[in-house]
Amino acid sequence: MDAINVEGVAKSYGSVQAVVQESLRVPTGQVVAVLGPNGAGKSTLIGMVLGLVAPDAGHVELLGRSPAEAAARGLVGAMIQQGELVPNLTVREVVGFVRGLYPAPMPLDDVLELAGLGELARRRTGRLSGGQAQRVRFAMAVAGAPEVLVLDEPTAALDVEARRAFWVAIRRYAEGGRTVLFATHHLEEADENADRVVVVSRGRIVADGTPAEIKRRAGGRTVRFRLGDQPAAGLEKLPEVTAVEVGGGFVTLHTGDPDTVVASLYSTGLTIRDLEITTPALEDAFLSLTAGGPAC
Amino acid sequence: MLNYLRLELLQVLRDRYYLFFALALPVAFYLLWSSIFAGDRLDPVTGLTSSVDIMISMASYGALGATLMSTGVRLAAERRSGWLRQLRVTPLTPATVIVVKTLAAMSLGLPAVVLVGLASVLWQGVRLDPPQWVAITALLWVGTLPFAALGTLIGSLAGPDAAQPITLGAYFGLAVAGGMWVPLSVLPQVIRDVAAALPSTRFAELGRAVAAGHAPPVSAGIVLAAWTAALGVLAVVAYRRAW
Repeated sequence: MDAINVEGVAKSYGSVQAVVQESLRVPTGQVVAVLGPNGAGKSTLIGMVLGLVAPDAGHVELLGRSPAEAAARGLVGAMIQQGELVPNLTVREVVGFVRGLYPAPMPLDDVLELAGLGELARRRTGRLSGGQAQRVRFAMAVAGAPEVLVLDEPTAALDVEARRAFWVAIRRYAEGGRTVLFATHHLEEADENADRVVVVSRGRIVADGTPAEIKRRAGGRTVRFRLGDQPAAGLEKLPEVTAVEVGGGFVTLHTGDPDTVVASLYSTGLTIRDLEITTPALEDAFLSLTAGGPAC
Repeated sequence: MLNYLRLELLQVLRDRYYLFFALALPVAFYLLWSSIFAGDRLDPVTGLTSSVDIMISMASYGALGATLMSTGVRLAAERRSGWLRQLRVTPLTPATVIVVKTLAAMSLGLPAVVLVGLASVLWQGVRLDPPQWVAITALLWVGTLPFAALGTLIGSLAGPDAAQPITLGAYFGLAVAGGMWVPLSVLPQVIRDVAAALPSTRFAELGRAVAAGHAPPVSAGIVLAAWTAALGVLAVVAYRRAW
């Protein structure tokens, strides 16, 4: 049984199609990133997974149950966007309250330690910085030790240091074989922390695979060298070359198979200088996959 | 469920505005009015001395305010802040949330009733039989139910910016027309006619009747039950849409 099973869901807001007929199956224990620019439909998709947004079509199952039923049984924990904390309570009271709602929660001190809140346990929620409040919201999401953890842009507005600490905590939580689905528009977050990346653009899933596969699918790698004043003609006919760019005395060959390209380059009779083989960052892959999407 | 009730109560009991508006203000008003209108002259409508009559007025006023403010304004804020959405992904059900919120709101009116009663005993030497005190406290607890429903209705429909003035408007409107600030006997006949149908008048009447030594009139129970039923249905419908 899949931890998350999204089947043909669609959602429109007025004339805007936020999510267009998407399906997604996440097996138990997988850490999946939903990657996309702002406005791509990530939050709507996450909202439907959690049962917070009713889909116009299709349906969602979490561990074989409806989202509401899964929530009622304490199978789900979530960090949603725009989740302010209630006032006049201490960190320990809020986290302890949410923890107490679940049937088999983590020990409270373990939760506070995991979220890095040990020192802040007695602080009132109104006196926390943005980053500290975000850690409290993370603690609330994991306190019940849910099987499925859903995080909507969990590190938005955190600095680099805090973001790193955050992912260490999320990975520790996932180690127990739990399923994690998180939305992000930070490419390196998806690359470094997910087993699988689902790229969303304009309400559609445009790519789905491991971070390495996503990079490969987005046009693969490049072979670049100094051409000088030698002619570039004929390079596009080399085996496995998909595109050729010439500029500034350099030529860049795009390919899915740089080994073959390099081998055949040396039989062209050209003088090859400053040869480089590069794998594009996930960022480039992401841009090529979502090209034409809305800018915001 | 008890866990959630405790959390709801703690949040409000630590709120300075609650302490001021729902506790300090009714007690202070009691001390002020009962000093100004001291005397044994019986009120022609209620048949109570002013020190007892004002005690019931201010206890009702405090309970009314606490119940309305702790439902309307807070529910609107929790809808905006995402806290209710956060609760939706936990095992807490929407029915538990609304039941606990109602219970909490009703109970948050109790401290005002007790404190104003205490002030009347200590300051004005008001003496009632123990069963009367118990009955007044219990009735002014149960009787807040229509106001909890009204607050839930406001909080489910209005945003946080609008919920505040709407709740305050309902609060002061109900308090004044319900004879909590000024005795009904001095209000114009038009307002007195309207007041008979208002839940706030009937709410205070529960306490006034017991303080005067007789059972509350059946008509008061009927009016309060009717308001509770009507506002309750609207509140549940609005809350389910807002949840």
